[in-house]
Amino acid sequence: MADHIRGWSDELARDPSSLVFIPLADTLRQQGDLQMAQKFVIRGLQRHPHNAEAHDVLARIMADLGDLQSAFDEWDMVARLHPGHVGAIKGMAFIRFQQGRHEEAEQLLMQAQAQATDADEAISSAIATVRKSVATQSLAALVGDPRRLYADILASDQAAMCVDKDGLVVAGAYYDADGTDVAHEIGASLSGVSGEAARATEHLRIGQWRSIVFETEAAVVGLSPAPAQGALDEGGLIVVAAVPDTPLGLLKRVLGKCLQRTRDWLAVGAS
Amino acid sequence: MSTPFTQILDGLTRLRGVSACLVVVAEDGIAVDSNLQFGQDGNRVAALSASLYRKARQSAGAAGLGGTGFMQLEADDGRLCILGGHELILVVVAERDANVGLIRIEMRKVTEQMT
Repeated sequence: MADHIRGWSDELARDPSSLVFIPLADTLRQQGDLQMAQKFVIRGLQRHPHNAEAHDVLARIMADLGDLQSAFDEWDMVARLHPGHVGAIKGMAFIRFQQGRHEEAEQLLMQAQAQATDADEAISSAIATVRKSVATQSLAALVGDPRRLYADILASDQAAMCVDKDGLVVAGAYYDADGTDVAHEIGASLSGVSGEAARATEHLRIGQWRSIVFETEAAVVGLSPAPAQGALDEGGLIVVAAVPDTPLGLLKRVLGKCLQRTRDWLAVGAS
Repeated sequence: MSTPFTQILDGLTRLRGVSACLVVVAEDGIAVDSNLQFGQDGNRVAALSASLYRKARQSAGAAGLGGTGFMQLEADDGRLCILGGHELILVVVAERDANVGLIRIEMRKVTEQMT
């Protein structure tokens, strides 16, 4: 490799307009000599300002130096000079991911995937990683206010909460007609339901209980066993309430979504 | 021995997938009449069902939701359906693939007769 570097350096000395500054700078970058690599590529770009490959190498150098915005700008330049340059789009996606702008990163990766001529496993894998991070980030934000854990799942006339085996509210909220949060009262009154349901199904030999749905004058209410994971012991409940004319099938669907959200939330909390 | 509910329970038990029917005192969980399959303990089913239904009533009360109507517990291999009258509740034990919609309609008719 040292011979290569010497050879390229000699050629550049003989012919300052040679394009060998590109492999020379990239090799120096890979060896960790970022300052020297940056010097060669900037000098080369003064003579070849529209060379996409040179901008690509400079972007990599800037990324390695930790100057994420400059790296992004260089890859953006590559994409302008060479529309559809998959490497540049992937590079910009990487920067956006590093900056915590996960949705933009995902969009760029989707763009790269569309441009790639062959199936690129690395892009698919990167998309999966970004999506997982977005989900984790959303849940982490929700953890900040557990009362809003189910907010995006529920319609305006629905309510949901998760209570532990002692009837204490773990997440969610339930507002009565006066706008008072009565989640704690409901949680306390439901304490022990899970155990009684388990005893009933055991006695009747009908397997494990999955849901309880009951109708009242003002709402239909669905219950299901809360997942026993993370900080939540067995015996907890997910409770969903909706307006009386809600089809029971729809209520069970919402209940299922809340159950999954609780699982994800507890998994994030436990990790 | 027949009671005013015997005929009603016989009718419910004829529904496809229904394995047991009971009329139970809501407050204390005592069975008033039942139509059970061999080997089923009616008193226990009555007590457990009444207890579950009371819990539902309590939570509905706590949430200001008013009176409680039809209730269904769904398990891997069966269902427990309960419908409350003023003092009595009607309990139906059914198989998983039973037609719950039909059972619910019949239970409503029966509870109207019970009051």
